[in-house]
Amino acid sequence: MRNALRVPLALAALAVAVLLPVAAGPFWTGLLTQMYVFGLLALSVDLLLGHAGLFSLCHASFFAVSAYTTAILQVRHAVPTALAAPAGLLAGTLLGLVFGFAVRTRGVYFILITIAFGYVVWGVAHRWSSFTGGDNGVTNVPFPDVGAVRVESHTEYYYLVLAVVLLCALGYRLLVASPFGLTLRGIRASETRMRSLGYHSGLHLYAAFVVSAALASLAGVLYVYYNRFVNPVAASFPISVEAALMAIIGGTGTIVGPFIGSMIILWLRNWVSSFFELYASVMGLVFIAAVLWAPQGVVGLVGRLRARLAGAGSG
Amino acid sequence: MTSSAILQAINGTSLAALLFLLASGFTLTFGLMRVVNMAHGAYYLLGGYIGLTIAERTGSFALAIVGGGAAVVALGYLIDRFLIRHTGENHLAQVLLTVGVAFVIGDVSLAIWGGDSLKVPTPVFLRGAMELPGGLVYPRYRFVLILFGVCVGAALWLLYRKTQIGAVVRAGVDDREQVSATGINVDRLFVLVSALASFLAGMAGVVGGAFLTLYPGADWEILVVALVVVIVGGLGSLGGAMLGALIVGLLDAYGRWLLPEFSYFVLFGPMAVLLLVRPRGIFGRES
Amino acid sequence: MIRDAIRKPLRAAAVLLAVLGCAPALVHAQGGPIKIGLLPPVTGPLATPGRDMVDGFKLFWEQAGNKAGGRAVEIVLADTTCNPDQALTQARRLALQEKVHFMVGPLCGHEGPAVAQVSKETGVPLVMDAAGADTITKWERTPTVVRTAVSASQIGHPWGEYLYKELGLRNVTFIGQDYTWGHEVTLGAVRTYTELGGKVAKIIWNPIGTRDYGPTIAAIPAGTDGVSAVVVGVDRARLFEAWFNFGMDKKFKIYGGYWMHQDALPQMDDRAIGLIGNSLHYAAGLDTPENRAFTDAFARKYKRLPSWFGESAYTAALWTKTAIDAINGKVEDRAAFLKAMRTVQVKAPRGPVRMDEYDNPVQNVYISRIQKIKHPVLGDVLTNVPVKTYEAVSQFWKWTPEEFLKRGPYKR
Repeated sequence: MRNALRVPLALAALAVAVLLPVAAGPFWTGLLTQMYVFGLLALSVDLLLGHAGLFSLCHASFFAVSAYTTAILQVRHAVPTALAAPAGLLAGTLLGLVFGFAVRTRGVYFILITIAFGYVVWGVAHRWSSFTGGDNGVTNVPFPDVGAVRVESHTEYYYLVLAVVLLCALGYRLLVASPFGLTLRGIRASETRMRSLGYHSGLHLYAAFVVSAALASLAGVLYVYYNRFVNPVAASFPISVEAALMAIIGGTGTIVGPFIGSMIILWLRNWVSSFFELYASVMGLVFIAAVLWAPQGVVGLVGRLRARLAGAGSG
Repeated sequence: MTSSAILQAINGTSLAALLFLLASGFTLTFGLMRVVNMAHGAYYLLGGYIGLTIAERTGSFALAIVGGGAAVVALGYLIDRFLIRHTGENHLAQVLLTVGVAFVIGDVSLAIWGGDSLKVPTPVFLRGAMELPGGLVYPRYRFVLILFGVCVGAALWLLYRKTQIGAVVRAGVDDREQVSATGINVDRLFVLVSALASFLAGMAGVVGGAFLTLYPGADWEILVVALVVVIVGGLGSLGGAMLGALIVGLLDAYGRWLLPEFSYFVLFGPMAVLLLVRPRGIFGRES
Repeated sequence: MIRDAIRKPLRAAAVLLAVLGCAPALVHAQGGPIKIGLLPPVTGPLATPGRDMVDGFKLFWEQAGNKAGGRAVEIVLADTTCNPDQALTQARRLALQEKVHFMVGPLCGHEGPAVAQVSKETGVPLVMDAAGADTITKWERTPTVVRTAVSASQIGHPWGEYLYKELGLRNVTFIGQDYTWGHEVTLGAVRTYTELGGKVAKIIWNPIGTRDYGPTIAAIPAGTDGVSAVVVGVDRARLFEAWFNFGMDKKFKIYGGYWMHQDALPQMDDRAIGLIGNSLHYAAGLDTPENRAFTDAFARKYKRLPSWFGESAYTAALWTKTAIDAINGKVEDRAAFLKAMRTVQVKAPRGPVRMDEYDNPVQNVYISRIQKIKHPVLGDVLTNVPVKTYEAVSQFWKWTPEEFLKRGPYKR
């Protein structure tokens, strides 16, 4: 692909995303919104996974805490969106500041500790029912309404989410291309070397963890206005696993990868489960296949394919 | 009050015995091979289901325990050989791969054994309750389970501490390169230990299925608690698995009795705090 | 790196288009068949009750020749997997993509609010079955949602009275499942029981999927003169096992408020015989012509007795057919359909049912005892046989709706 083509292609992709709701109808518009939201969650997981080399399995916690905070403020206390949404974002990020201490550990210990953190949050959402509504959760969340921006339909909400996600993707790109992003990848490659070079690796990882938690919290806020309810499932272990899986299937360390992964997984869930009862097996096999044959995900696969085609063409 | 406290102590210990069976295999495979096998819960469930079918066909509980364990050994070997081996030491890939394997095993089990909760039939002499001094009544099966756990624990400890294989495994946990340098077939050793771990998990499924019942989802429920045991005790430490199982079992029983609203905190909270202080668990080594 | 970042959106677009290509084409003809969307959990932890739901629903429509109001009836299944996100997406698919005329479901309690949300935003009527959250027909009602099954506390209230008046208990320990349905059933019983003057020895809450009922049983205080059990799912068989293994049958009396359902009985055994099993709006052993016809047909077709989930789906189908017949098949008129659902009277296998003004059925509640019966198709089988009937029980029990609504939901 020639450099000159990049800008027109990106614009074309954007045009497709903008025009989709017109062509696709309300159901697919809704599902696409969901795909963007979970793609954002997967992207937040991938900041740690694809750049810092940390595999977190507690991101559903930030996602759920922000969703619950926003929902409870909007529904029970009639707090306007302009305050409720930032409050949700803040609550999830604060939790990230606490759980961030998990970066004291590495590798498998980090994975296991984050699993445990995730279960604590799920337990609270599930059992502290006087506050969280138990497994009924919090329902009847209104559409967001921030002064000039007043969302009144799922199509309008689609555009809002699209805009937020695009902004996030841009910011994310700047972040990972910055010296900070380079340092994270340096730590992943060899932490001892980075330390000997004078980098405070713990602090960098902690900062990455908090940023990642903030991103997951933003996904949580977008999620609660899409779903218009939240319940303990949002905090559950499978959500964390799925978010990581989306990043891996799409391609870790990339920006578009987590979104592709989210589209594949959500599409599989909605399509395969409608005719095939062994749907969980299909998901399991996707996991296994991804690890064995496509560790770089769809993005890596496409790259390999193109390299092979190019090789054949020139040779 | 005191009688309740005693009953809860026995309750906690019997759960600990079961958790130890599962956690010991997990911790050994990690200690020696650095393999994180999240399919351990699925091995537990599958072993339990196969044991259930054997017990129903033959009427023998002992055969069910052995058969359930053996079936999982065979499956575990294949998964180890053809799947996990390909991940090298990449924990991320291992976790993902074995979660996938667990999904498939759980789903296929659901298709074969259905969604009802099933109980492995126990022999008549293990059923019912027995009287303890002081007028306490306790299920006979759970006493036997505690005894069984102690026996397995003792056997593992002897194997680990007093035999040549154990010495090699211990050396392998400390330093793998050194073991291969001594000319021992490391590959065979790995197969042996992973077979042992699979057997323990399958067996745990049968003995656990006889009092906790088997049903879809039991694999993840038990795995998460076993993970807590392993983390608290320290990955790779057999003694840690014993102590961890006892702590978790007792915390669970007393927590649910004294602080029912906070039972999740009681289980996971102390673990989180412990890990922040001692990231590698009580008996875990710094690497 | 930079090249990649800009090139990738194109691939995203390609994937999107591929996704769109797979969307089933919109087929919707006016005057064609009546499309009913059914939302059971076909996979996942509650797949077994989900199967009863599908079987009961299909059994009715087969018997009715798949016709209602002079039109053919088509059922569109959507698997909710007992996950609210999935339930929401599938309900939206049924409403927007499949263009169903109305939806029936979901089964899992926590999916109820999610699907009600879809009904609210799309206007597609929802016949709620069997999710039982009190709030759906009390504090958070939706004009397009009616319930044909039961509200949680509706079965709890008579149970509390039964404990006090019929069983003569004065110091009861309540074992309750720690989630919304469990709270509402248990605390509903606690309210009526304590208002009569009964004393609560202790309430022991157990989360769903409690591994071990040993600690629960050991916590029952001495001096308890009866134990009330409200347990669901896999916990039912576990409590049963633990109870007898701990020799509790010799120390205490246990009574099931919501415990030994038909689908759980195969995992129990003859030790259950003689125990009070449930306080519920249905019992498979109910001896009425309607129920005999239903259970015999169900048993012949599926080789088992229906649980209350099976009856509930069957009755939901019967109820909707009666309503469709009443409006001559014009289900496109949603207001007329909902009005018919709210006004028709139905003689269901569970007994006579009609809707109250808050969209919840007024129906009998049966206290049932577990007995072994000789079934013409299945032979010897354990089942729930009613021993006491509370007739025409309202979700508000003996209070006025205003009193009840003012008091607020049951919360632990």
